[in-house]
Amino acid sequence: MPLFSRQRWETRSKANTRQDDTALQPLPLLPLLLAWLSIGGQSFGGGSSTLFLIRRVIVEQRGWVSDDEVTKAWAICQIVPGINLLALTTLLGWRLSGAWGVVAALGGLLVPSVTLTIVATAIYRSMQHLNVIQAALRGIIPATIGLGILMSWQLAHPLLRSSRAENWQSLALSLGLLVGAALGVVMLRMPIVLVLGAAGLCGTFGYHWLSRNKPTGGV
Amino acid sequence: MWDVWLPLAEPEQAHGWRMIDPVRLFLLILRATLFSTGGSGNLPMLYHDLPPLGYASEQQFAEALAIGQVTPGPTGLWVVSLGYLVDDVRGALLATVAITLPPLLILVVERVYRRIGTHWAVQGFLRGLGLAVAGSFAVVIVGLVQGSAFDFGSLLIVVASVGLALTRRVPVPIIIGAAAMLGGFLYR
Repeated sequence: MPLFSRQRWETRSKANTRQDDTALQPLPLLPLLLAWLSIGGQSFGGGSSTLFLIRRVIVEQRGWVSDDEVTKAWAICQIVPGINLLALTTLLGWRLSGAWGVVAALGGLLVPSVTLTIVATAIYRSMQHLNVIQAALRGIIPATIGLGILMSWQLAHPLLRSSRAENWQSLALSLGLLVGAALGVVMLRMPIVLVLGAAGLCGTFGYHWLSRNKPTGGV
Repeated sequence: MWDVWLPLAEPEQAHGWRMIDPVRLFLLILRATLFSTGGSGNLPMLYHDLPPLGYASEQQFAEALAIGQVTPGPTGLWVVSLGYLVDDVRGALLATVAITLPPLLILVVERVYRRIGTHWAVQGFLRGLGLAVAGSFAVVIVGLVQGSAFDFGSLLIVVASVGLALTRRVPVPIIIGAAAMLGGFLYR
């Protein structure tokens, strides 16, 4: 069943915010655009604050979708290429107003944030020769590195935790893929796309082989 | 131009800076985004592709990542900042389009996932891919350390930023702002 089925939409709408006779009609684009513009303009703090704002505006304030629907949509967005929040925005826009809803939602989210990003970068570039900016940058770069280390861990941690819950062989395979990918890039200087593809294929057959050979015991 | 889609194509080595081919820049960002998940997942491939072509420096990567942390929207918009740094507004707009197209696949994936999402091949491939992205991401971060003037003060800022982020109580822009002020104090 699709995540946002016609039946689910009808059921939710009858129970909650919208009237029955409008349940299957797409939302008008203007309020949709305004809602996403407000999210795009004030979502300082990266992905987590943007997701927080989406929930607050779309679920709590407007009541256009349920919290449960956003949670399930977010889970599926994890496997889509690119920025997960843009995938979620696309899905919610489609769900609320079809193709034009996607345009309104993505446009509303991206126009303010991309504009401010360009302006901030332009201001930085016009001032980057100043000593004080260079000094500030020498402080910012280590902080970015620290946040990047954390991000790397956050990318790997849920996958390693799943493997650990299965058995030690699965955990060993996951650690091997993690370290192997890093070594492939550093030591062998393999093209990244080849490393990613090879790791995906190793994962496909490695985890399947482990599941068929039924190793026992968690870690 | 189309060789960016060949998995085995090593980027040709540039001798110094060169004029940017906007179509090639667009395709490189699009490819990196298509082969990654999450806002920063395309970092390793872009870091691998752009500097050898003379399109971007390691310093510009660090600058774009920092700016992406303090501007609104997903942190994945750091690519927009990188696009501006390397090719002005044209680069920023090309980067915006390149990172917007792949997530549209959600409309297809959402329908297909319900049928094959739990298949062992899909699950295994996604897990392997995710681990490789994490491993190569760490390599790039270490590369940024090598490309910057790193000293004991820098190490302290790394540790402090990780500690503050782990508390989940300090917003990222505050961490970046504090690091900027500390940098201004230490290195001016």
